[in-house]
Amino acid sequence: MMDVGRHPNIKLLTCSQVESISGYVGNFHVRVHKKARYVVESECTACNDCVEVCPVIIPDEYQQGLSSRKAIYIPFPQAVPSAYLIDMNNCLGTNPIACGKCAEKCDKKCIDYDMKDEIIEFDVGTVIVATGMDVFDPTPLDEYGYGTYENVITSMEFERLLSAGGPSDGHFIRPTDRRKPKTVGFIQCVGSRCEQRGQPYCSNICCMNTIKDTLLLKDHYPDIEAKVFYIDMRAFGKGFEDLFKRSKEAGVQYIRGIPGEIIEDSKTRNLKILVEDTTANKMEEHEFEMMVLSVGVTPRLDMPEVQKLLTLSKTPDGFFMEAHPKLKPVDAPTSGVFFAGCAEAPKDVKDSVTQASAAAARAETLLAAGKVKLEAITSELNADLCRFCTICAQACPYKAITVDPKKKTISYIEALCKGCGTCGAECRFSAIKMKHFTDEQIVSQIDTYLEEDSYDKVIIFACNWCSYAGADTCGGARLQYPPSSRLIRTMCSGRVDEKFVLHAFRKGAPMVVVSGCHYVDCHYIDANRWTQKRVEKLWDKLERLGIRPERLLLEWISAAEGRRFAQTMQDIEELRKKVTKEEIEHTIKILTEEEEKERQKQEKLKK
Amino acid sequence: MEEKDFKCLRCGTISKFPYEKGVMMERQCLKCGSNSIRLVKEKKKEEKKKE
Repeated sequence: MMDVGRHPNIKLLTCSQVESISGYVGNFHVRVHKKARYVVESECTACNDCVEVCPVIIPDEYQQGLSSRKAIYIPFPQAVPSAYLIDMNNCLGTNPIACGKCAEKCDKKCIDYDMKDEIIEFDVGTVIVATGMDVFDPTPLDEYGYGTYENVITSMEFERLLSAGGPSDGHFIRPTDRRKPKTVGFIQCVGSRCEQRGQPYCSNICCMNTIKDTLLLKDHYPDIEAKVFYIDMRAFGKGFEDLFKRSKEAGVQYIRGIPGEIIEDSKTRNLKILVEDTTANKMEEHEFEMMVLSVGVTPRLDMPEVQKLLTLSKTPDGFFMEAHPKLKPVDAPTSGVFFAGCAEAPKDVKDSVTQASAAAARAETLLAAGKVKLEAITSELNADLCRFCTICAQACPYKAITVDPKKKTISYIEALCKGCGTCGAECRFSAIKMKHFTDEQIVSQIDTYLEEDSYDKVIIFACNWCSYAGADTCGGARLQYPPSSRLIRTMCSGRVDEKFVLHAFRKGAPMVVVSGCHYVDCHYIDANRWTQKRVEKLWDKLERLGIRPERLLLEWISAAEGRRFAQTMQDIEELRKKVTKEEIEHTIKILTEEEEKERQKQEKLKK
Repeated sequence: MEEKDFKCLRCGTISKFPYEKGVMMERQCLKCGSNSIRLVKEKKKEEKKKE
């Protein structure tokens, strides 16, 4: 942090919140709200005189509420810049008559109650999201009595208690009687790996954190008895297994089983637990003077705000989704945005530093190049045909299109376009065309597939990233699926225009399938929601026209679901066999008449 | 969130799924796993009852 603070090319904005980010890769415009510190940073020498006279005492967030701080304070010892700030929510008043003791005491006159919040605006080429994570709050888990029993603490509180700069100056004491405990129990996976009582995922860091904590405890107090209750100990990193062995050699006992409940003895304030040791296959009762809950990691509460700022997408666990889990693990789906640390997934210090270095290198590569190569698959806008209905702007997951219906203006930033084609599929006035996967190409594919024996074919629109790859996986695994399937690849299922589906039916297709990524896997943030909307509308339209909506199916198939693809195709083949020639001919007749009506309507409109 | 009847267009099973107007969500048939899940409209329900 000190290096960052001193670096000539790094501008550190503390007490600041990003209000908006506009623009695109290489041209981001950032607006930051810098909150007033009420202390002149450049003058303050952190002499502590103001803190001594401040009469306000409130719980110290950094010390997990185990000690107190004043209204004028430094958030944590290594904070950069090393200057005080006033917590105005708790200060007795900006009016010096109400209190003003800090201002009186400060010889250098650093206190400025009139300091105002600032809005800072600047341009940047790339953005790195390193917003970190939150820690699971175990208070709702009644069985562990956190918040009720004082001697039940979290791993974060344990960390502070054992720290030399902590509330007890590094002396490990139990909160109820402030004496050193003789026995300490650790419970793993609190708030992790449990869908009903926390998060379904493994928080990655808790096992090694507990192993480190037990080693520290044994190092400081070899006579303290420590036991760890776990589901699995996951010591998978470099040197981690050695650390685990050292902990066991130091006398820490590891018991495979999670206690169902903690009960406090009201006299001794000791904590009793009943646990099933699944290795020994027996029930055991243990008593501890202190219990430590190894709490998991959760996404930050303010992640939706960051998500909106940069049009990012999230994985089902709530962390930000990378552009590709293997090939672009530090890139966001939005060009020029990168991830570092726990914003993307729970990770330890080493992994966070690795990812941060990778993100910095990726950002630097872009900046050094000076220009960006874009994918050729983008959309093309014909402003003359646009009726300013704004549907394209609503559909674009990357906000590449902005429409002002009042001023009748439309603007399109090609650098932001990723080529999903959702805008093209939604536009009813043919004002948007794709540079690749054009309407003509897709219609030609349909025509070719249905030229002969159309009654025996099933037309499947498959998105490039998931469903088409799922079909590939299916083939690679030598899984059988019916030869009646005819796949048409699009970059995203959002590209599948209503007219493609109707055209396929008009050409005699008995069944049409639209398939794409599962909701959480969508490679174009949320473009597949538009697919679902469109298919739902089509079901209604088909029904209105007297065509069975069951002949149009929507299936989400991921790249790994080769078996699901094969099964789906087999099921659809059975449905295809039930569609009679008469039904198909009736459909062709209805849709041809409908097309003629539409053509006449368009001609009238043109006139 | 209220629950409404949805029909699977692949296997015809009618199941209850959470529903909120304007909110898109992924639904999967509990029987066949298809995502072709269509909201059963109230009118149709009434007609069925009459039948």
